[in-house]
Amino acid sequence: MTIQTQPQTTRDLRLAARQGLLPARGSGWLAGFGNMLAKELGEWFRTRRWLWQFLIWLIIINGFLALTLFVLPALASIYPELKPTADGVFAGLPPEVGGVMMYFSIIVMTGTIGVIILAQDEIIQEKQSGTAAWILSKPAARPGFILTKLLSNTIGALVFIVALPWLVTLVEIFLATGQLVPLVPFLVGAGVVLLALFFYLSLVIMLGVLFESRGPVLGVAFGVMFGGLLIRNFFPPINYVLPLSMEGIALMVEQGMALPVIFVSQLISTAALSIVFILVALWRFQRIEL
Amino acid sequence: MDTSNSLVIETHNLSKVYKEAHALQGIDLSVKQHSIFGFLGPNGAGKTTTIKILLGLIQPSGGQATIFGHDVQRDSVAIRKRTGYLAQEPRYYEHLTARQILGYTARFFYRGPKDLIEARVQEMLELVGLEDKADRPVRGFSGGERQRLGIAQAQVNYPDLLILDEPAASLDPMGRHDVLEVMEKLRKHTTIFYSTHILDDVQRVSDTVAILNRGKLIAKAPISELLAGDGCSAIYDITLKSEAEAALVGARDRVTGQPWVQNLNLEAEGSLTSWQVSVSDDGAAEDLLLRLILEDRSLKVKHFGRKTYNLEEVFLELVEKENSK
Repeated sequence: MTIQTQPQTTRDLRLAARQGLLPARGSGWLAGFGNMLAKELGEWFRTRRWLWQFLIWLIIINGFLALTLFVLPALASIYPELKPTADGVFAGLPPEVGGVMMYFSIIVMTGTIGVIILAQDEIIQEKQSGTAAWILSKPAARPGFILTKLLSNTIGALVFIVALPWLVTLVEIFLATGQLVPLVPFLVGAGVVLLALFFYLSLVIMLGVLFESRGPVLGVAFGVMFGGLLIRNFFPPINYVLPLSMEGIALMVEQGMALPVIFVSQLISTAALSIVFILVALWRFQRIEL
Repeated sequence: MDTSNSLVIETHNLSKVYKEAHALQGIDLSVKQHSIFGFLGPNGAGKTTTIKILLGLIQPSGGQATIFGHDVQRDSVAIRKRTGYLAQEPRYYEHLTARQILGYTARFFYRGPKDLIEARVQEMLELVGLEDKADRPVRGFSGGERQRLGIAQAQVNYPDLLILDEPAASLDPMGRHDVLEVMEKLRKHTTIFYSTHILDDVQRVSDTVAILNRGKLIAKAPISELLAGDGCSAIYDITLKSEAEAALVGARDRVTGQPWVQNLNLEAEGSLTSWQVSVSDDGAAEDLLLRLILEDRSLKVKHFGRKTYNLEEVFLELVEKENSK
């Protein structure tokens, strides 16, 4: 005969209650979610990683912007031969618009490479080292395992690649032009570039679930990114599907311009594909043998 | 309800196929509450596969398995709430300390004031003797220390069932002794299901044993039955003393003339002759064997008894028999 003891009467809970411990919250998909998320966020914010990430993106995004906003004009005033370069750096746009455009462009290019590199090992490493099997031998749900990886990396990217440089960009443009960039449109534009990063994060997490080594994960992710940029002139329909113009879309949104159909399609497709990647990752990871 | 005979683990016809290879073939297990169940088998027999199926880490290809009455596929999280697991080669996040790993493990089971969780962590560190290394990153731990940490994290939730995959494999003799002692202590609270290939450990602490070979369960019995030879043909050890060769020959003819006697091996040393009699009908042997010998009153029986085995003999005989099929 098999025992069918109710969970609240089990020995573990009786002994734990005696010590004042309560059973952890969360069941089904949420089992272990809070604990795993706290651990994953801890990897970003309770180690030195936050400092390195802050410095790296500050230098890449805001350092480059500072060069164009402050250093290049200063040099042009000393060396007149540099003036055409300084004037052309924002393609004739006023510095407050050009600065915003540069912020979006640098994030979409370098931030995408950054999130691919940061997330490429998240699932593979856990599968290869056996820590995924260890975690999932505890009361932790597999979907939660994947979602906490995605969520923590999205939060990390939001804070260090998008939000903090966004704040510094605001200050830089204000100092350079004396004008405050309108906050809400700039925020919405930053949301567009975050969507681009989220697309690649979802893709890389899905690839980490599907493959057993880093090579295919990096290969496919960079293939989508650079391959898309290379073939979009030969095969224009791809512009309706892949996030290949997100910096342009972000700037148009920030400037309050109406988006052409191709960009609307690109936005919707990027969001939809991100959801598809997540669903595929969840579906596959549920069946994976650890 | 008397739960002493209740089953904690039950599997029926459990199987696992990897492409062409049959890792498990129709495994039927039943593990009673509060037992120490030794799951024995050579490397590659399918022990870890079985354990991973029980924990929901891999899916079976066929059959059923339940733990605490919950299906291992559908209700895996409910099972894992009441189970502690130590993997064959425990893996942790290498940059975390032992204290952080135990805290992280504990929070899968409990919430509550931080100091209470830390107290539970401290209790576990003391149990396995890792207090002095509690705040060092795990990457510097030796195999034995990792194993001890593994035992601590497996027990952090006061599990009703402990599943240990080769718990003593990487330990020195003292470490093994400690692990076996902990297992014996926990018996009255917890059911322990553990795999091993160390036969001495099984013989020392287990009350029930299952032997797995090439994915097949070839024996499953209380260890006392197994050591009595119930899994093998019965053999009687007899030592006789006689000066008269004719008396011995007569006794031997009477014995070998019985349809239930399969074989008789003898060895003479001085006036003592040792027989090993293999029988197919243990009941008939119990009733008649001694009487047949003693029909000749000149024979003296110095020793008569059913041969008892050590686990190694049983294991090797069963595995060899299975391999020769």
